Parts: sequence; C-alpha cells; structure tokens
Amino acid sequence: MTDAALTAPKKHAANPRYGSMSRDRTWALRWSYFFLILFAIFFLLPPIYMLITSLKTSAEISAARNPWWVFNPTLENYRELLTSPQYLGYFRNSAIVSVVVVVITMLISVPAAFALSRMKFWGSSTLATGVFLTYLIPETLLFLPLFKMFALFNEWTGIQLINRWWVLLILYPTLTVPFCTWIMIGYFASIPKELDEAALIDGAGWMQTLTKIFIPVALPGLIAATIFAFTVSWAQFLYPLAFTTSTEQLVLPVGIITSLIKGDVFNWGQIMTGALLGAAPPLIIYAFLMDYYISGLTAGATKG
Amino acid sequence: MVDAVLQGVQTPGATRKRSSLRRTMQRKSTVAFLMALPLILMIAFLVIYPALYSLHLATLNKSMERFVGFGNFLFLFKRETFWKVVEQSCIFALTAVFFKAIIGFTVAHFVHNVPNDRQRKWRGMLLVPWVIPPAMSCLAWLWLFDPSYSAFNWVLGIFNIGPVPWTGDAFWARFSVILVNIWIGAPFFMIMYLAALKSVPDQLYEAAAIDGANWWQRIWYITLPMMRNIIAITALFSLIVTFANFDIVQILTQGGPIDLTHVFATWSFTLGIQGNDIPLGAAVSLFMVPILTVAAVFILRDITRRGNES
Amino acid sequence: MKRRTFTRRRFMATTAAASATMIAAPFVRTASAAGKISIGFWDHWVPGANNATKTLTEEWGAKEKVEVQIDYIPSQGRKNLLTIAAEAQAKSGHDILAFPTWEPQGHANSLEPVDDVMGELIKQHGKVNPTVEYLGRANGKWIVVPATVGSQIKGPCSRIDLMKQHAGIDVVAMYPAGAPPKAEAWTLAAFMKAAEACHKAGKPFGIGLGTTSDSVDTAGAFFHAHGAALVDAKGTITVKSDKVRQALEYCTKLAAFLPPDAPAWDDSSNNKWLVAGNGALIMNPPSAWAVAKRDAPQIAAQCWTHGFPSGPAGRYAPFLPYFWGIWNFGKNKSAAKSLLLHLSSRAAAEKMVAASAGYDLPSFEKLTDFKTWAEEGPPKGTLYHYPNPHNHQILSVAAAPAPARIAHQIYVQGVQTKMIARVLKGEKMEAVLAWAESECEGFMRT
Repeated sequence: MTDAALTAPKKHAANPRYGSMSRDRTWALRWSYFFLILFAIFFLLPPIYMLITSLKTSAEISAARNPWWVFNPTLENYRELLTSPQYLGYFRNSAIVSVVVVVITMLISVPAAFALSRMKFWGSSTLATGVFLTYLIPETLLFLPLFKMFALFNEWTGIQLINRWWVLLILYPTLTVPFCTWIMIGYFASIPKELDEAALIDGAGWMQTLTKIFIPVALPGLIAATIFAFTVSWAQFLYPLAFTTSTEQLVLPVGIITSLIKGDVFNWGQIMTGALLGAAPPLIIYAFLMDYYISGLTAGATKG
Repeated sequence: MVDAVLQGVQTPGATRKRSSLRRTMQRKSTVAFLMALPLILMIAFLVIYPALYSLHLATLNKSMERFVGFGNFLFLFKRETFWKVVEQSCIFALTAVFFKAIIGFTVAHFVHNVPNDRQRKWRGMLLVPWVIPPAMSCLAWLWLFDPSYSAFNWVLGIFNIGPVPWTGDAFWARFSVILVNIWIGAPFFMIMYLAALKSVPDQLYEAAAIDGANWWQRIWYITLPMMRNIIAITALFSLIVTFANFDIVQILTQGGPIDLTHVFATWSFTLGIQGNDIPLGAAVSLFMVPILTVAAVFILRDITRRGNES
Repeated sequence: MKRRTFTRRRFMATTAAASATMIAAPFVRTASAAGKISIGFWDHWVPGANNATKTLTEEWGAKEKVEVQIDYIPSQGRKNLLTIAAEAQAKSGHDILAFPTWEPQGHANSLEPVDDVMGELIKQHGKVNPTVEYLGRANGKWIVVPATVGSQIKGPCSRIDLMKQHAGIDVVAMYPAGAPPKAEAWTLAAFMKAAEACHKAGKPFGIGLGTTSDSVDTAGAFFHAHGAALVDAKGTITVKSDKVRQALEYCTKLAAFLPPDAPAWDDSSNNKWLVAGNGALIMNPPSAWAVAKRDAPQIAAQCWTHGFPSGPAGRYAPFLPYFWGIWNFGKNKSAAKSLLLHLSSRAAAEKMVAASAGYDLPSFEKLTDFKTWAEEGPPKGTLYHYPNPHNHQILSVAAAPAPARIAHQIYVQGVQTKMIARVLKGEKMEAVLAWAESECEGFMRT
C-alpha cells in the first residue's frame, strides 16, 4: 500500500514548523492561491462557456449580444436532446461500448501484466517494453488496412463487422490495453516478492496468487487503469468515425460532431448541450474516484 | 525457479501422464505465456499486421494497381507542403509538450503549497480539461474562436482590441491549435508531477532549509532531480500522443489557413481520404513512426532502468 | 408496338405525373427485384429534408416488395468521404451511396455503369448541363446519376437593404421574381465596386478563402469568368498565363474588401456572417437564408438570391452536384437501378425540393420550374432565380475543364483560394504562380 502515503495527509506542506519561515509561507500560500485561481479560470473557461451557450436559444445566440451572459435562460436544448431517441441511442452505445471495453481491457491486461512482471518467459522483457511502443503506430495509419481485414473476415465467416457498434469492442482495446498493462506492470513490480513466494509455498497456483493476492493489493492501480480505459473509450474519435455509419450505430463524440453540426445550419446551443452532456459521465466518475486514479496512476508510473 | 520446483513437489500423487501434463501447464513460462497470449494476439492482429499492410499500401501507385517501391516517399520529399508539415508537426508537438510540462509543473507546485485538506478541490477543478473528451472540448474552443461570434473577441472588443483572427491568420491559428492542446494536456502533467512532488522526502527540504537554500535552489537541486524519471516518462508519452494528434487540428482548423496548421495525421487524411490517394496518405502517416521511434528510444531506456531497479 | 412505347414515353415526359418505375425499363427486372437493398443518402442540412427521400424510398420498397435499409451519412467531419473510401477498399457496403461532386471520378472503376438509367432520364427530363457530364461520366459511360438531394448552385445571396444603401444596387430590380434577369450591368467591375462600398460601410461581403467547398467554388467561378484555368482540358499546366494573372489580380483586390480571417472560413462561416447581420452578401445555397428565417427573421426578409456577375469570359456560376452511384460489387444492382429511376422522377424531385425549402436542385433542364422556388419567402420570390431558370449563367465547377483526376486535387487542396490567400499575405504574384505550378505538377500522379 505504498500509494496510500501519497494521498494520506502529510503535515509538512500545511504547517509552518520553522518560526522564521512562517511569514514566507503565508506569502507563498497567497501567491499560490492567486495563481491557482488564474489557472482555474483558464482551465474551466471552455466548459463554463459550454454551459452558458447551452442555456440559450438559437435566436439569442445569433443576436450576438454579450456572449458571456444568458438573457433568457432556457432548458429547451436539454429537453430536446434528452427526449431525442437518436441522441439517447448515442449515449447508450457509448455506455455499453465503454463498459465492455473496460472489462475486456482488464481481462487482457491484468494477467498479461502479472505474467510480464512476475513470471519470465522467452521474450517477456521485450514484450514488456514493446507493449508501450504500440502507441507509436498511429490510428490514422491503421484504419484502412483494418477495413480490408474486416471485409475479408466477412467473406470468410459471413460475420459483418463494419458499421456495427461492436466492432469498437475489438478496436478500442488496442488503445487502452498497452497503457493499462504498462501501469499494472509498474504496480505489480512494487509488490514485495516475498508475498507471492509465500503464497506459492502455501500451495497456491499462479492463478490463485493473482486473484487472491495481487488483485486485492493492487486495487488502486486497477481502479486507475479502469478509469483510464473508460475515459479513452468514451473519448475515441477516429475509429468510430471510420467504422460506424448508421445513426443507430454511432457513439457520442461522432454522433455529436456529425449529426448535431449541420454545416450550414446554426445549432450551437444544442451542440454545446450535447457536448456538455457527453462530457458528464467521465466527469462524474472522476469526481468520485479521482483519489484512486491519481494514486494508482502515479504509483504505477513512479514505482521502481 | 524456486517456485517451479516447489510446484512439482506439491503434486506427487497424480498419475504419470496427468502429472506431466500438469507439470507442463504449471511450468512457469508456459503459464506466463498463456496469460500474455491475448495481449500478444491482439497486438499481432490489430496493430502489427495492419501496420505492415499499410507499409505495403504505401508502396503502391495512386490507383493502387502498380508497385512503385519508394516512389511515394521520393515524391513526398519533393513536395514543399510535405516539409512544411514535418516542420509544423515538430513545432506543434515540441511547443505544446514544453508548455504542458511548464504549466503542469507550475500548477502542481502551487497545489502542493496549498494545505492538504483543500488540495482535493483544486485538483478536481484543474483536472477537468483532461477528462472532457477532446472532440467535445474542441467544439467549445471552435465556438470561442468563431469568426463571427467569438466570445474572446467580444471581450477584447470592450477594450477596443481586435478582432483577433483566431483561426484565420497563420500565427494565430498555430497559436490557437497549440493553446488548445496545452489546455487539454497540461492537467495530466500536473497530476503526475503532483504525485512526484509528494514522493520527495520532507527531510531533504528540511536539510536544505537549514543549509540556507533558497526557493529556487530547492527546486533546482532537490525537486527536479528527484522527479527526473517521471518528467521524462510523462513528457515522452505526451510527445507521442501530441505528435500523432488528429482531432484537435481536424476540428479547429482542418489544416488551414493555407496548410499552415496541417500536421501528419490531418495531412495524411486530406491526401488519402479527401484526395483519394490512399497510398500517399499511408506514406505520410508512416513518416511519424521513425520520428516517434527516436522518442521511444528514450522511453525504452527509462523503462528498462525501471525494470532493473525493481 | 414500337410506336406505342414511344408515345407513352412522351406522354410520361410531358405530364410527368407518375413515377418513373412504371415505365417498363428493360434493365429493371421488376418482379425479381425483391430482396434487400441498403442505401446511404447524404444527411441533409435542412431540417426535415431527409423525410422526402425516406418516404419515397419506402414507398418504392413497399411496391417492389424490397426491404429497404436507409442510412443518412453526414458530410460533417468528412464522414461521407470516409465511408466511400472505406467501402471502396473493403468492396462491401451500401448498394446505393450518395457521392459528392468529385467522388464518382475517383471511384470510376468500382461503379456500375448506368447508361440505361441516364438514357431514360434524359429522355424524360431533358439535357443535363455539361458540368454534370464532366463529373458523372468516365470512359464514355455514365457511372452515376445526378441526385436532386444536395446538388446546389452557390450564387450570391444579398441583403436587399444593405446593397441599396451602401452600393446603390437594387438586386430585386436586377433579378425580378418570375421574370428574366436584367443584369447586363452586373459585371465583375460592378461587383468589385459594391464590395468596396460595403466594406467601407462596415458590412463586408462574406466570402471565404478557405479550402472548403463554398470558398473554393466562389474563387473557381471568378477564375472561370476570366477564362482562367490552372490546367487545361488536355492536362497541360497553364498556370503562368495572362488570364490566370488577371483572375488572381481581381480576386486579390477583392479579398482586401473581405473579412480579415477569410482564409480560415469554412462552409458555415458565411452562413453565420449573414445570420449575424455582419455583411451585405454571401455566396451560398438558400440554407443560410432558411436559418435566418428561423433565428433572425428580420434579416431573412431582406435576403435575395440571384445570379453571379459576368466577366470577360462569360457569366459563370458554381454548380456543385451530388450523385447517386451503385457499387459494382453490390448485391442487388437491378433493384438499385429501379430505385434510382423512382427517385429521379419529376414528382420525386419536386418533393425533395419542397422538403429542402428549395435547397435541392435537379440537374435536368426541364426541372427548374417548381413552384417551391417561386413561392418560398419572405420575401416572396427570393428563390426564384436560384435554379438558374433563364439559363443566363453558365453552370460550372471550380478547376474544370482539367482532366477530372487533376481537377479533383486542385479542388480538394483549394489551390485557387490558397493562391489568393498567399498573394494577400504579401507573396509576389510570380512566386505564387510558381508554387501553384509545382502543386499542379504534383497532381499529375496516377
């Protein structure tokens, strides 16, 4: 539980212990707040503007009066989107895809990370470093060959993958698994060897060692990896843009960008509403699990 | 190795055949291989194979009927726009990562200064840009930069400045694209650095304070060296992601004005999909790989070091 | 026997009362058309316009006992181009797909020839303009059918009040509703003067210089008006010619009177410009006016859609057709042809035009007189001149007449607008021409 130390309150930062430095520290604190407020404004400006715009009617937006103020607030945009079966369909697809991808990611990356960090086999160390390098190959390069592969697969098996939302379940793990595996390798590496050796001496198999000892101990890391996988699958843009076409197969980011923006038609209130609602699920998850996320992510990356 | 022997000892009662099968199954390397197999298959079929396939695509002519070897690459070398894209991708990635690191470090430092019970709130607020899907936050930025309705220009208008052509002028368009990238990426740096800051032992600062080190010396001689590893890893990870970035540029400027914000991913998309020249698009995308590999060498070194230490 | 068919066809063409599928077109095996068909239509920008294609297709499906599956594919985010590229690569996908302007040429080898369908349609509705032939034919065959949905002329849409007030031009008098235009004085010189006057008055013309179609089309029409082509019909590069120089000079002079961030404009910028009341003129199909009607009615009431100014080489207007094509690897080609006939009937076209508030435009000569254009308003008659009813403009597409594969690249890369933007930025004219020449050389790739 090394990570606990990271989040557990430490007295140092808050309590001035050296009398002569206490005035310095108050000033440092004031400056810190001042700059933090500046940065918070910079970081929060776009989401706030999204919120402001989402409360306006098209007519008010096109009137181009003070854009930072809502003169006639309306929830019409929200009502319209939340009752539109199309938009709810995007939401549902996104939710299913993200949750299933998280499960698949964990099923692939946790055993692999365990094997790579604890049990050596031929080529395992190459694989451990190589896993991360899959990010070097950009999606823009991969989607056309993947298209040909899926078409061939359709010819062989009669199973159509293109333009089905579940093709994303096959594709997203290529984006989530490497990072999650990497984080988990780092995390598992921080667990003392004595722990699993003791378990093995007691007669536990490798699988048992993993499920009974490693997973409970590495839970914060696991949660971090889960959140990472969820965020990545929720936000992915290029693969769904390329691989899904029909309205009922689209996920949120593509659905919003392609169907709410209508080239010539002015719909910004609704676009901002859609974007804000689309950003809500990851925001909510972070609000609740942020501490785990931070400690898990950083422990996985810093340990060693 | 010790454990494998122990496993063998544990199962003396089974019949010969079963036990040998069981032994094989229990052999550490076999089990390990099986556990990593899904990962290996996934990378082989969904990353390596298509990557090799696009290498093949990049050696065909425009109508994809004829093998032209390195013809597409040689063609690219002669194009003015290609070199501009190389230059812009580098400017784009390096500037963005540099500022992300600086801002991330600064903000982490300030958050670290704040009493612990209030840190949580600040961390939460400052992490927001990284959590919103980029495709959606880019829409907000696009709307903030809009030529007719820019809310920034409205504010500047009060002070009689502007209007600033946020996406219309070469300098401002690059500025805008990089700004949005920094906005999205800086919180990630902040979080990583914050954790690293917390892992620096207090005693070091106390000792330094007693020796009379000032604020700057403490950062330079204690904080930065202690964070070296994590700074490198974060920066390089971000470099890869930023270099290959597609959605920010595609949504904000689509490479314009006059191609001055095109990066590898968007230019390859323009050539390959809009211009119907898939081999050329693939060739452009492939160029990212060697450049990123250089960055990867550094990551590799860091990761290996990490592996050895543990 | 022969004569009867002929007369019946003529009857059909003149009254155009029934749908085209009723004709016993020999290539459509009506009875066996049964089965499944999937169609990827363009997702229309005008709200509700998709309903027309949906009803028409379902109506056809019910009659022919074909199960239809319709997808609406947006052009936003280049989604439709991605879909086309991907389906062509995978050799599987929709039976019928909507192809924007240049795409049929790029995929000529994967498209089923439709000479039979086009022959029938031309007999019924009259000739198509040369631009449609230029874009829709390859290797001597029709490879696609021009679609009513999405085809458009991007003529000027002016503010009646602002043009009168600042430029002294009465656009309604020049282009009276229901009558031929009296536009002899509407020349490039007059256009320049008006642009300058409106710029001075703080209401500049909203013309973009980006690389999306609205900007490229407008620049293309100005080049055509000067008779300037970057590459000629034989594929010879003609960038360094006096006509190109004149065109570039004109456009650069004009660009000085445009909004400062024009090089970054996309297809929605000009609409917003009009709706926000910022300028006196934009170049666009009527969608901007339709949005104004919803969000800013007082502005919409002052909008008038009319023709392009004429230049030394003639009066050119940008015409941007959409097409429907059938993949040659499709599974149900005869049903697809039957459906395309159905969708191209006069009655069908009329429905599409009505559903899109006049935006959609059939490409056939005899289909420019629907009452939607005459009656839409306010102001009443604002769309009368949109479909070029008196044939006083030459409909063309930017980068024509270069061979299509080269012209496509010129268009997609927005070479003409980039040339203007470069001169505007301070580059020497000759340097810009040299740059454009080298770009065109690069487009010669096969």
